[in-house]
Amino acid sequence: MKKYIPSGFQESNKEEVIIVTVEINPELCDGCGICVNSCPTDVIRMDEESKKAIIKYLEECMLCELCSFHCPTKAIAVTPVKTAPLMVSWG
Amino acid sequence: MVENIVETDVLVVGGGLAGCFAAIKAKEKGVDVTLVDKGYVSSTGQSPFAGSTMVFNPEWGHKLEDWMNQVVTIGEYLNNREWAEIAFKDSYSRYHDLVSYGVKFLKEGGEPDRPVHRSPHPFGAVSEVVHWYPNFPQVLRKKVTASGVKIMDRIMITDLLKQDGKVVGAVSISIDNLDLYIFKAKATVISAGSGGFKTLGYPISELTGDGHAMAYRVGAEITGKEFLDTHSTTADCTGYRSGPRPFLSDVRNFLKSRLRGKVGDPLGINAEGGKILRRGQSWPMWLELEVEAHAGRAPVFRMSREGEKTDRKMVGGAAEGMSTHAADGIWPINTKCASTIPGLYAAGDSLGTMWIGAIYSGFGFASMWAQTTGARAGVGAAEYALQAEKPTMDEEELVRLKEIAHAPLKRKGGFGPRWVTQVLRNLMIPYFVCRIKHEERLQAALTLVEFFRDHLVPKLYAKDSHELRLAHETKNMVLNAEMKLRASLFRTESRGDHYREDYPRRIDPAWLAWVMLKEEHGEMKLWKEPIPKEWWPDLSKSYEEIYPVRFPGE
Repeated sequence: MKKYIPSGFQESNKEEVIIVTVEINPELCDGCGICVNSCPTDVIRMDEESKKAIIKYLEECMLCELCSFHCPTKAIAVTPVKTAPLMVSWG
Repeated sequence: MVENIVETDVLVVGGGLAGCFAAIKAKEKGVDVTLVDKGYVSSTGQSPFAGSTMVFNPEWGHKLEDWMNQVVTIGEYLNNREWAEIAFKDSYSRYHDLVSYGVKFLKEGGEPDRPVHRSPHPFGAVSEVVHWYPNFPQVLRKKVTASGVKIMDRIMITDLLKQDGKVVGAVSISIDNLDLYIFKAKATVISAGSGGFKTLGYPISELTGDGHAMAYRVGAEITGKEFLDTHSTTADCTGYRSGPRPFLSDVRNFLKSRLRGKVGDPLGINAEGGKILRRGQSWPMWLELEVEAHAGRAPVFRMSREGEKTDRKMVGGAAEGMSTHAADGIWPINTKCASTIPGLYAAGDSLGTMWIGAIYSGFGFASMWAQTTGARAGVGAAEYALQAEKPTMDEEELVRLKEIAHAPLKRKGGFGPRWVTQVLRNLMIPYFVCRIKHEERLQAALTLVEFFRDHLVPKLYAKDSHELRLAHETKNMVLNAEMKLRASLFRTESRGDHYREDYPRRIDPAWLAWVMLKEEHGEMKLWKEPIPKEWWPDLSKSYEEIYPVRFPGE
């Protein structure tokens, strides 16, 4: 699972400041794929191997919560915080 | 790579409220309809976050004159009254359509003849807001499918195909694989919303002005690009940002706490302890807040009901770059939503009539607009398709558009679309470009946007089909940014939510006009479309009487 740590936080504080923009709990995910369709920005895809939903393009998450709203097993958590990832011009 | 060819009578681009209505109403006319969305119909565009709609019904005591006065005084006389009247008068039939499709509305009070929840409109006692359940997009999708419309999800139209001056289809990409889709359509309806610039934590990131951009590229006329969205995110009221689940309760709290009140009521306290007063009747906060920032007096703190300073910070509008609902977009030539290009129709926020005027005047109007124009565009496009010949395609043009569609994938290197979007956002969103406009700064931003257009966009690079969609969105946003900057430079006055620091007053009658633009010989041409004199305010009255809202600097 991808986790972002906002820049400027000291190494020792990282445990407390980890921000999970959106994550899917594989224990709860039953692979129905509803979240894939519910995401307007194509953040979520199905993993071919595990047959469960995974966060593939976290950069595009806009915190709209449609995935967690529609997930029938409540496997998705969205936090109300997003940090801007560093992007480079030849990214 | 597989190339798929899809033939249809009516192609609908975008599956929000407007697109669903267009598809359903076109299908009812007995034609083949295909509805395409770059996301998934029912989870796309602004519709999943729409908490309410408006219904005009004389039997409920509504008076057309009252409604018209409300939108025209708030909209500062830039309103296209013909279209305002159409939207109001059609809205009751569309409400009945929604009820018949199974959309549920919140019930409160339980009056048998008025079985909907309604609350007085915050901007005028004459109107009502009707709240629906947040699952209404799913109900609409079911209805679209049951109508026999073919839905194609996760396909993004990149360009419209023109033959002999008419739109005869479109080229599109899949966001799941490297397939191309070629649509041959007798008529096309664009219902892909308006345009914004992607912001972090605001759920319309995919609202990248694709519809306006593709229409512009085939020569359609566009209006209203100088005006701004009025939605917001504040530190203590998440509004749009909270998704559909807490949305209804948030909206109610928002209405109760923030939007009621009159001109002159205190809004907040700046860093120096000065009170910021409510300037206008409609969404008034963003310009006031930005003025405080501009003067070096930010942050601004919210006041308690008792008028005391709290520790809750107010922040500026988060949908910066988005255009006003129900204002900007593709200009229609008739009341069936036909554009200036035969075969091309537009609906919802993609349709630009300026009916709402220079500032958005109320909750629910955008939803009402999407339904009423969606239905009209669907019928208009179907009637056109019924008499149109089977489209033929210009093979050379098709090859050119297919190359454009996959170009970012074929490049060996270049600029990432995320980075170009981020720098565009950083250029367009700052208050001194977007909110408090000035010729020098608009011109400076335009110089850079031209560089984006000429140097960065032709070198956009995508590693996979997901990034290919991003590359096309970025290209469309850059074009929308150019439209917004040029239209903002062109309107040399202030009105509604277009504020020019160098021209801080409305100028009548010179600017009782709409700003139009279109592509001509590779250049963006702008001109004024005068507003009919019978829609002007009474110019014998004083300026202060006509416009009760003062701009900073007036």
